Amino acid sequence: MTSKRFSDSFACGGASRRQILRASGASLAVLMAPAVLRAEASELVFATWGGSWEAAMRKAWFDPFTKKNGTEVRTVSGNTYGRIQAMVEAGKTEWDVVEVLPDFQWIGAQKKLLEPIDFGVVDKSRIMPGKDMVTEYSVPQVVFSRLVAYNTKLAPGPATFADVFDSRKFRGKRTFYAKANGAYLEAALLADGVAPSGLYPLDVDRALRKLSTIRDDILFYETNAQAEQYMRDGEAVIGLIPDGRALNVKNHGAPIELQFELSFLTWSAMVVPKNAPHAKAAMQFLAFALTPEAQAAIAEAYTYGPVVPKAFDLIPPERAKILSGGPQTRGKSIVMGEKWWGENLAKVTEKVNAWKLS
Amino acid sequence: MSGVLRRHGPVLLVLPGFVLIAGLFVIPVALLVATSFEDQAGAFVHYGRILAETSYLRVVLRTLLTSAETAFICLVLGYPLAYRLDRAGSVGKAVILLCILIPFWTNLLVRSYGWIVLLNPQGVVNVLLRRWGLIHGSLPLVYNTAGVLIGMTQIMLPYMVLPLAAVMSRVDPTVLNAARSLGASPLSAFVKVYVPLTLPGALGGLLLVFMISLGFFVVPALLGGPRDMLLAQLIEFNVNQTLDWPFAGALSTVLLAATVALYWIGERFFGLRRLWGAA
Repeated sequence: MTSKRFSDSFACGGASRRQILRASGASLAVLMAPAVLRAEASELVFATWGGSWEAAMRKAWFDPFTKKNGTEVRTVSGNTYGRIQAMVEAGKTEWDVVEVLPDFQWIGAQKKLLEPIDFGVVDKSRIMPGKDMVTEYSVPQVVFSRLVAYNTKLAPGPATFADVFDSRKFRGKRTFYAKANGAYLEAALLADGVAPSGLYPLDVDRALRKLSTIRDDILFYETNAQAEQYMRDGEAVIGLIPDGRALNVKNHGAPIELQFELSFLTWSAMVVPKNAPHAKAAMQFLAFALTPEAQAAIAEAYTYGPVVPKAFDLIPPERAKILSGGPQTRGKSIVMGEKWWGENLAKVTEKVNAWKLS
Repeated sequence: MSGVLRRHGPVLLVLPGFVLIAGLFVIPVALLVATSFEDQAGAFVHYGRILAETSYLRVVLRTLLTSAETAFICLVLGYPLAYRLDRAGSVGKAVILLCILIPFWTNLLVRSYGWIVLLNPQGVVNVLLRRWGLIHGSLPLVYNTAGVLIGMTQIMLPYMVLPLAAVMSRVDPTVLNAARSLGASPLSAFVKVYVPLTLPGALGGLLLVFMISLGFFVVPALLGGPRDMLLAQLIEFNVNQTLDWPFAGALSTVLLAATVALYWIGERFFGLRRLWGAA
C-alpha cells in the first residue's frame, strides 16, 4: 500500500520535489505507525524452532493466550543458545520466552543467562513427577521420545536393545542422531546388559565399544528431516528417532513400525532469558501453557505429549495412545539423564568425536 | 577546503573501507583470539586441550586437506570452463554464466538435499548406472568424503571460474599469434604462453576457494560420513551447544594460524604476491 503510493508519486513525471518529499514523508509515517502501536500494546517475544511446530503453538497456545490476556505473541526463529548468550552479554535481551532442549536448563543457569521462574505465578504442582523436569530457571514444555522405529520387512522387528545392535539378526543400517546426546550411547549400554537404573553416569567407553560392533552399519542424521528421509527411503532399516517424526513417516505411507517398548523419554523446556523485556508477561504465558487445557490443546495440535498428566483427562483415548507419556509407553520409557548430559556434553562429545574419527 | 581534499584525498577515500574492515573484521577477530587465552586456569588451557586430544588436530588437518582438494578439483573443472566462457559469443556467455550462477544463488541446504536425492544408493545416479548395466550394487557417492567433495566443488566452482575468466579476458590474443608465428605448436603456445599468463587467475581462484572452504559447515554435515568432520562444525558446537566461546575461539585461532602459515609458505616459495600485481 505505502510502496504503491510512493511509486505512484514517482510515476507522474511532473511531480515536484516537494510533492515527492511530502509523499515519502507520509509513507514513512505509515511505515512507522505499526511499530509505535506495537510498542504500546503488550507484547511477548517467543523464540522458537519454527516450522509446523510453531504453527501448532500458534493455534493451541499463542492465539488463545492473546484472547485471554490481550498480549500479542510475536515469534522469532533461530533460537540457538549462542544467540541467547550474545544477547544477554551485550545487555540487549530481545526475547521473553525461549524453547530449548533440557541441557540448557543447566548450561544456561551456569552461564547466568536466565531469569528465575516466578513460581508464585507459575503453578508447578501439576507438572508430571520426574527429577530435573522443573528447575529454578526452567519449566518443561512438552515431552517426546526417541524411540526405535523399524522397516516392516524386519517384522516382527527388534524387541530389545540387544536386537538393535545385532546386525546379523537384523541386517541393514541403523540411523542415530549425530549429537552425542541422541540416546544411542544409552541404547548401547542397555544392549550390553546394563540395567536401566544403573545407566548414569554413562560408561562412555563401554558404550563406544558396543557401538564399534555395528560401526559400519551406522548412519548418523544431522537433522530430523534427514532421519525421516533415511527411514522413508529404506536406507536405514532401524532408527532411534523422535516419535513424532516416526509417526509422520508412517502416516505418509512408508513401511515403518514404531516399537513403543524401546523408547527414551525427554522433554523440551521453556526459559526466560536474563533481563527479558516483558518478563512479567513471560511468566503469565508459562503459567497459561502449563494449564491442563493448554497442554491438551498442544497434544491435539502436534504429536508431543503433555507435561501435565491431568491433560490426559481432556485428550481422546485414540490420540492419547500415540503420545509420549501416554498409556503405550508409560512406565516402560527410560527417562534421559538430562542433568548429567548438561554437565558432561562437552567431554562426552569429545570422546564420541574421537571414536567417529578413529 | 579544496586544499584539504587535495592533500588528504587518498586517505579520505580509503577511510570508509578501512573503518568497515577494522570495525567488522579486525576488531572482532582480535577479540575472538583474545577470548581464547582467557581462563582462570591459565592462558593456554584451551590450546592444551586441543593438543591433548588428537582428534582436534586430526580435524584441523582434514579441514585443510578437504579445502585443498576442493580447490584443486575446482581448478581442474574450472579452467576449461573459464576458457570456454572467455571464448564464447554473447549468447554462449550468458548461457554459461547462468548455468554457473543459478546454483550459486540457490540455498545451501536445498542444494545439499538435492545432492542426497541424486547420489544416495537408491538415488537417480545409481539407479541409472544400474539400469545401463555399468555397475552392480551401488557406488558410495554420499555420506563419505566423495559426497563432501562433490557438494563443495559445485558450490565453490564460481569462485574459481569468475576470477579465471577475468584474467583470461585480459590476455592479448596477439601474443598467442606471435608465439605461433614464431614456430610454436598450438600446444606449446598454450602451455608456454597462455598458461603462465593466466596463472595469477588460477592461483587467485585456488586461494579464494581454499579460504572459503575452510569455513564449510552445512555441506560436510549433510553429505559427509562420521569421519568427515570439519573444524567449523566443532566451532559451531562450542558456540551454540556448550557455550564454550573461549574454546571455540581457540579452535578458530588454530585454523587462522594454520591458514596464515600456509599463505606465508605460498608467498615465500610460490610468489603468491604476484596475484596482487605487486611482483
